[in-house]
Amino acid sequence: MWASWKSAFAATPFVAKTLLNATPNLFPQQTRTTIILERVYPIRLHKKGSGERRMEKKDFIYKRVDKDKKKQAPLSIILTQYVEGVGEKGDKVNMKRQKAYTHFLLPGLAVYASPENMKKYYIEQDDQKTNSSLYAPNTVKVLSRCCLIVNLSVDNPWTIEKWHVRANFRKMNVFVTDDAITLPEKPISGPNLDYEGKEFYITLTINKTETVKVRCKIHHDTFIYSKELPLVPEYWKIPGKAIFEEDQEILDSLPRPKWEDTMTVKD
Amino acid sequence: MSGPKSNELTKLLYKFPKPNRWQQGIGAELPEAYKKFWKEWKLDRPKPVHWIDKEGKYERWTDGTIRPIQNVDIPLKYPKELDKGIWGGEAVIQGMMKPKHKKRRYVHYWVPQLKRSVVYSEILNKYMNTIVTDRTLNLIHQHYGFDHYILSTKACDLRSLLALNLKRNMLIALYDKTLYPDDPVKQEEVYEKYKHYTEGYTREEIEWYGYSYEEACKMLMINKKKSMVTVPLKVKFREELIQMLKEEKLELVKDEEPVDSEPKSWLSKLNIFKSNSNKSATE
Repeated sequence: MWASWKSAFAATPFVAKTLLNATPNLFPQQTRTTIILERVYPIRLHKKGSGERRMEKKDFIYKRVDKDKKKQAPLSIILTQYVEGVGEKGDKVNMKRQKAYTHFLLPGLAVYASPENMKKYYIEQDDQKTNSSLYAPNTVKVLSRCCLIVNLSVDNPWTIEKWHVRANFRKMNVFVTDDAITLPEKPISGPNLDYEGKEFYITLTINKTETVKVRCKIHHDTFIYSKELPLVPEYWKIPGKAIFEEDQEILDSLPRPKWEDTMTVKD
Repeated sequence: MSGPKSNELTKLLYKFPKPNRWQQGIGAELPEAYKKFWKEWKLDRPKPVHWIDKEGKYERWTDGTIRPIQNVDIPLKYPKELDKGIWGGEAVIQGMMKPKHKKRRYVHYWVPQLKRSVVYSEILNKYMNTIVTDRTLNLIHQHYGFDHYILSTKACDLRSLLALNLKRNMLIALYDKTLYPDDPVKQEEVYEKYKHYTEGYTREEIEWYGYSYEEACKMLMINKKKSMVTVPLKVKFREELIQMLKEEKLELVKDEEPVDSEPKSWLSKLNIFKSNSNKSATE
């Protein structure tokens, strides 16, 4: 705690030095690494034949040598099985020491990259991979949970096209190309206030391999203030009905954000 | 005679060596295998952890003179808590600090930072929740595994009884090949990996490895009791009696055959006056 306070003070140089923050370091021994000491007064030499001299009090005065801390080098490990978001079987990965030890070496997901293990476990990666990229499974997980709001006009007639979806994804900071989007087979057209708050799903393809089904919700929007529909607070929490009844099962099976499990369903 | 060597010899002349625990009592009975371990544990110089040794034989001082380099260790303290964890050679240092030239020195203890962590032994196939330091974990990483670290480091560097006990168990498992009794494939794989560590030891040395002095004495007493066979005295006396009776029978048989010799009864032996009277007569 003291260290964090000290660092907080150090980060604000404009704070004047008062009595409170000018306290010396109360716990000088508080270090994680091994303590390395040195005698302040070098010990007197003893004669060649006789043993060591009897120590004086002066010889017990020490000072620290290891003042400047060094960053520890990362640990290299070889995975023994596929780990999501980390790598394939036989991959050599560099990682922070504590994380590598507790999360990979102890459970047996990986082994040390010793020269013997390199011969035994290391595999040079070919094109055969379980995923198109390291982060693809994570994006699948995120996208499958989200609820995309598709804003559509109340005034002008429309049928849902790819660019509607693309533009609304952009609001979520997700950038999608038109090739990746596949819309539902039946066209949806409006403005139709029966569709307000109802759901349908689209499928996205990531790197032309993985596919995700994403839940979408229709919302009618306008520039005219008087025509604006009342805003439903936390609309993403409310499970809506499907536009096409045959899609209801698929929409129910899609995972929802975690906080929604506790919500009571409104009719 | 002159010079340092003669000085040493003359000192020795006036010194009477102190009696130690190996010369008398139970200590003298302890086997040579245990003494070997004791020397490795207590008498060998551990690798410097809390200070840095100077390298080389001589150095030039600032005044221009050339002086020998003498590395004198910083005395360490080994508390009893050390035996319950694996500290990787670290220990407590009692010393003093002096902030400035004209300031009074004050006492200070440097204590290693301890933490709880899990270690996994492949030979024993066990996950253990132990108290370690960061240095221990770094050493485990450096040796590519806990087993390699424990088996390849000397007793003086491991120091704690917990680590030494683990080392003995590992060595016994390797020597007797009792690791992974249910899985022969895994057993062969692990055995091939670690078998070269048992080369320096005999079976007896492994048995006596990693015990403290008190534990070793206890072991000795237990072994002694096991080897001792106590026979009740009544059995011994009965056998003697039977022997005596047999001899008497034989004598009786012998006595019956020759008639001319005087039959001697036991009463004649008890005749007190016989010998005395003879003696007095001669005198």
